[in-house]
Amino acid sequence: MSASFTAEELFQWIEEGRDYVYLDVRGEEDHARFSIEGPSEITLLNIPYYDFMEDPEGAVAQLDPSSTYRTICAKQGSAMFVAEVLGEAGFEDVRWLEGGMTGWGQVLIPKRISTPEGYELWQFNRPGKASCSYGLVHEGQMMVFDPSRNADFYTSFAEAHGVRITHLFETHLQADYVSGGASLAAATGATYHAHDGDFASSTLSYTSVVDGATVSFEGGRGPGVLCTHAPGHTPGSTVYLIDERYMVSGDTVFIVSVGRPDLGKKVVEWAKQLYATLKERICTLPDALMVLPGHYTDWGTEATEDHLIMNDFGTIKALNESIYGLDREEDFIAYIVDNMRDQPEVYNTIRQVNAGLLSPAAEELDTMDLGKNECAASHMAA
Amino acid sequence: MAHDDEIDCSGMNCPLPVLKTKMKIDGMAAGSTLKVITTDPGSCQDIPAWANRVGHEVVETGEGDGKFWFMVKRGE
Repeated sequence: MSASFTAEELFQWIEEGRDYVYLDVRGEEDHARFSIEGPSEITLLNIPYYDFMEDPEGAVAQLDPSSTYRTICAKQGSAMFVAEVLGEAGFEDVRWLEGGMTGWGQVLIPKRISTPEGYELWQFNRPGKASCSYGLVHEGQMMVFDPSRNADFYTSFAEAHGVRITHLFETHLQADYVSGGASLAAATGATYHAHDGDFASSTLSYTSVVDGATVSFEGGRGPGVLCTHAPGHTPGSTVYLIDERYMVSGDTVFIVSVGRPDLGKKVVEWAKQLYATLKERICTLPDALMVLPGHYTDWGTEATEDHLIMNDFGTIKALNESIYGLDREEDFIAYIVDNMRDQPEVYNTIRQVNAGLLSPAAEELDTMDLGKNECAASHMAA
Repeated sequence: MAHDDEIDCSGMNCPLPVLKTKMKIDGMAAGSTLKVITTDPGSCQDIPAWANRVGHEVVETGEGDGKFWFMVKRGE
């Protein structure tokens, strides 16, 4: 029986730059659609598991016995099967991914952001989605921003750190992943903050975000969270300014690009809103503000040396001169329209799930919640 | 549609549906058709992708009652 590894170990190995060869044994289509990636370059091969059934010798002959292989599939059965085949062929230390790509898609990696004393700020990176949620901790309480579906992660994190989750914030109604907000609110009793612009037609019980209001920890001490309505990516998009130093920017400001305003099929109307938001509400913020985005596209350009997805707003404006340099609304709309592309069909279903209008079975949720985000207005920095 | 043999892989997870199908069809004559029944959603992509890769043909597919079925015609 060959040994396995977890999705957390997989991330750690990629981060450490371990000299492994990752062998994806899913079909070529699945591999092309969604695969593993992380902070450093990896060697990744794709040989479908059925090749190891039809022509085991031919499939094995494509591999180098002196390399160390880590096999990956959709769930785990096929990766285990191929690991066994390789083991029988004399390959040493072959291991397979527990829970497969489904598990990889859900894993969250906590990293602490350096802050002034008195509070802790955590980035929870979800490498399988290229998305980030955040935790703000102060005196035994934690606020969580944009929790993803893996609610157990957040409750376990809170328990391990001896804190209780008291507030949950949505930056917007997510289209690309299933939110954990409502289930975490039910599990913890935390106040669930969301903007009417996105959530008014939902069936969820939430507290309406008020533009310009500050949410504080119990006792009134610690960093405040200033809610700022930032429509454009969605009508209810909100950014949260923490301690006047950090901005949880959701899908409004990314390190590279801005959140695409075409997902609601009202591209011109929403692009106008986004232009006004950027000019009047975002560009007036200080350059030193650290931006903590909801998504990223590329580790190489968007991560710090410590593998945090963040940067200061001044640097972000310089990185995205082709967007922030546009001084006429019509030029901005033209930029958005030029960079438009289709959105995955599943996004509409995910929006309905996140508004409480649909409750699919767990396995169906697993499937729709998988795959990298498509939320940026453009792919390249300029 | 008419078929020459049938294999029920209900309840089996990847890689078993493809493995059982392969073993069964290997013993059948070229041009004959095997009906494969599965419950694993992963088989919906894997059975056709495998068949295409090894020279068999999926001539018909369907689903209902939580099951999927595939008519696989053995290649030469």
